Amino acid sequence: MHSTGYCQALEKAAEIEVPPRARFIRTIILELERIHSHLLWLGIAGHIIGFDTILMQAWRIREPVMWLAEEITGNRKLYGMNIVGGVRRDIPAELHPKILEVMDHVEKETRAVLNAVVDDSTIRMRLEGVGKVPNEEAIAHSILGPSARGSGVAIDIRADHPYAAYAETGVNVIVETGEDIWARTVVRIKETLESIRIVRDALAMMPRGPIQAVIDKPIPPGRVACSSVEAPRGETHHFVITSEEPRPYRWKARAPTFQNLQVVPLAILNETIADVPITLGSFDPCFSCTERVEAVDVRNGQLKVYSKRELEELSRALTRRLRGR
Amino acid sequence: MFKGKIKEARICFAHPRVTLKYPFEPLEPPDGFRGRIQVDVEKCIGCGGCGNVCPSRLIRFYDEGDRTRMEFILDRCTYCGRCADVCPEKAVTMTKEFETATDNLEDLYIVQELYMGTCNRCGRCFETENWIDKIPTRRHREGALFVGPAMPHAKPVGEVGG
Repeated sequence: MHSTGYCQALEKAAEIEVPPRARFIRTIILELERIHSHLLWLGIAGHIIGFDTILMQAWRIREPVMWLAEEITGNRKLYGMNIVGGVRRDIPAELHPKILEVMDHVEKETRAVLNAVVDDSTIRMRLEGVGKVPNEEAIAHSILGPSARGSGVAIDIRADHPYAAYAETGVNVIVETGEDIWARTVVRIKETLESIRIVRDALAMMPRGPIQAVIDKPIPPGRVACSSVEAPRGETHHFVITSEEPRPYRWKARAPTFQNLQVVPLAILNETIADVPITLGSFDPCFSCTERVEAVDVRNGQLKVYSKRELEELSRALTRRLRGR
Repeated sequence: MFKGKIKEARICFAHPRVTLKYPFEPLEPPDGFRGRIQVDVEKCIGCGGCGNVCPSRLIRFYDEGDRTRMEFILDRCTYCGRCADVCPEKAVTMTKEFETATDNLEDLYIVQELYMGTCNRCGRCFETENWIDKIPTRRHREGALFVGPAMPHAKPVGEVGG
């Protein structure tokens, strides 16, 4: 996903035309990444609220996607698929039935999980009305990706500024107006289904032809280019200035987590500390496992630092309490 | 409340066991998997293309008289497989081996020497006159990639590691 952003920026700077087949392969890889990322997130969210069944099931559904990526690209993650001017590996016709089979499996299972989760009152109690980000605040804080779409902001780089083959496949932007964690969860599950649709369409529409552009002259120095990619968490921007050396003069990537985190203080306002982990988690933040919270009691100025383990315990205790009600 | 629980239970019971028996049973990755690098010095023509494209810059070539020493210092390897992609002779290949954890860094070094003819006009090494046409990329011997003894990895490490 980042490699797509970087390559696209360089291709823009050097005015390299990417062959259509390569654009379709990029789309397929990006969507496979979104499918597994959203399923991973669903599992983590379940884990945070002490509902590990959904962790096990979401990750079980996700695993064939990883195997598929391994078969297409040579690795489960860090696909190394992109190269400036195209992609490194083709998706041969022999693999198409297998990809479709995995997509059918993931679609069936994701729908089953969605059906089950919708009817589970414990999960609804934990997620509905919690971590609210009102529509106007989402716009004011410029939050991105599924977090914004859960608050009724219909932004998606894939639809707004199509890249790769999204103009051909089209993207239905999934928007929920619940503004809470439940809305963000539903957005992600429905987006998984939409990604499956895009993979199927892209496979069907994929033209024949080369997968790499012929680059016969050096990339001109001093060119400036920016490219945007819709990552599973939101939009990612890559900015590149080319240089005379065979490496960029400047390169800046902006990932969506930084943007999304700005709205967390608002989302946890007037919530209990036990709701903090899942609220934070609902933005799908990417900052390793350094979660901890410093809580200051404003009445007596006392400071308490909650570790990740304590937070998890608090969050799970709340689920147990709600279930006992 | 129970409707959801029953549906969840049904999903769980439909999939009693999905884990693999690995590591008690060996696991075979699919074809095209990018595992540990293997270098076949018999096929190598010393073109240095792999050293040119390596993003981690861990492949280095040294000309020593009529020999070229190539070093693959794989402790920085990201298994991107670009070296195998560009190798015109398929001397560099990615194996399916993924259990590469080791407590001895030298297990990750591949150091090989290749006998090369030396051009009596420019002094550079080449394999044979016919073969040089196959070389698509000029090899990197000077410049930023050739760091010399300042790098901790650059010290000579025995004949053949890895």
